[in-house]
Amino acid sequence: MGLKLWLEAGILVSAAFPLLRLWRGPSLWDRLAGASSLNVRVALLLACEASFTGRGLLLDVALAYAALGFLGTVLLARFGERGER
Amino acid sequence: MTALVLLAAGLAFLFLGGLGLVRFGGPYERLQGAGVGDIGGAALLLIGLLFRGWTASGGVGVLLLIFLLFTGPIATHAVAKAAFVRGVRPKGGEE
Repeated sequence: MGLKLWLEAGILVSAAFPLLRLWRGPSLWDRLAGASSLNVRVALLLACEASFTGRGLLLDVALAYAALGFLGTVLLARFGERGER
Repeated sequence: MTALVLLAAGLAFLFLGGLGLVRFGGPYERLQGAGVGDIGGAALLLIGLLFRGWTASGGVGVLLLIFLLFTGPIATHAVAKAAFVRGVRPKGGEE
């Protein structure tokens, strides 16, 4: 119980840094870096929950979340590379 | 015991990467902090969870680890290349 609480609280607290960078990044690239980092932390949180509660379904959710986050980051970088702003 | 050490190291990587993401001065420095911290933290945390004894479907955990190891550098490189193409230049890198 204690290890699960400390681990998930640590991941949540470390997710505050990407949120801060996502909130006040001066440029689009800083915000994209924050969004990608936040995606990785959410996927890790889901994996921790799956490992500690024994629900294997949450691992599939984490995998799908990581895939969609990666797709969104690359697509937004591509759009920002050629488009406006 | 091994699992505890690996989990603590992964959390330390996540914290240091996040600190670099907040404290560094330019987009490329922030991307470096975020990318390295994410990859190190994700790999160490997932290997630590595997060492802890996975109860259900640990194969998907290995798959998630391989996926994160592949896609993290790709995403970082895409963002950095887009920033470079749009005219952002790293500081102190003039010839």
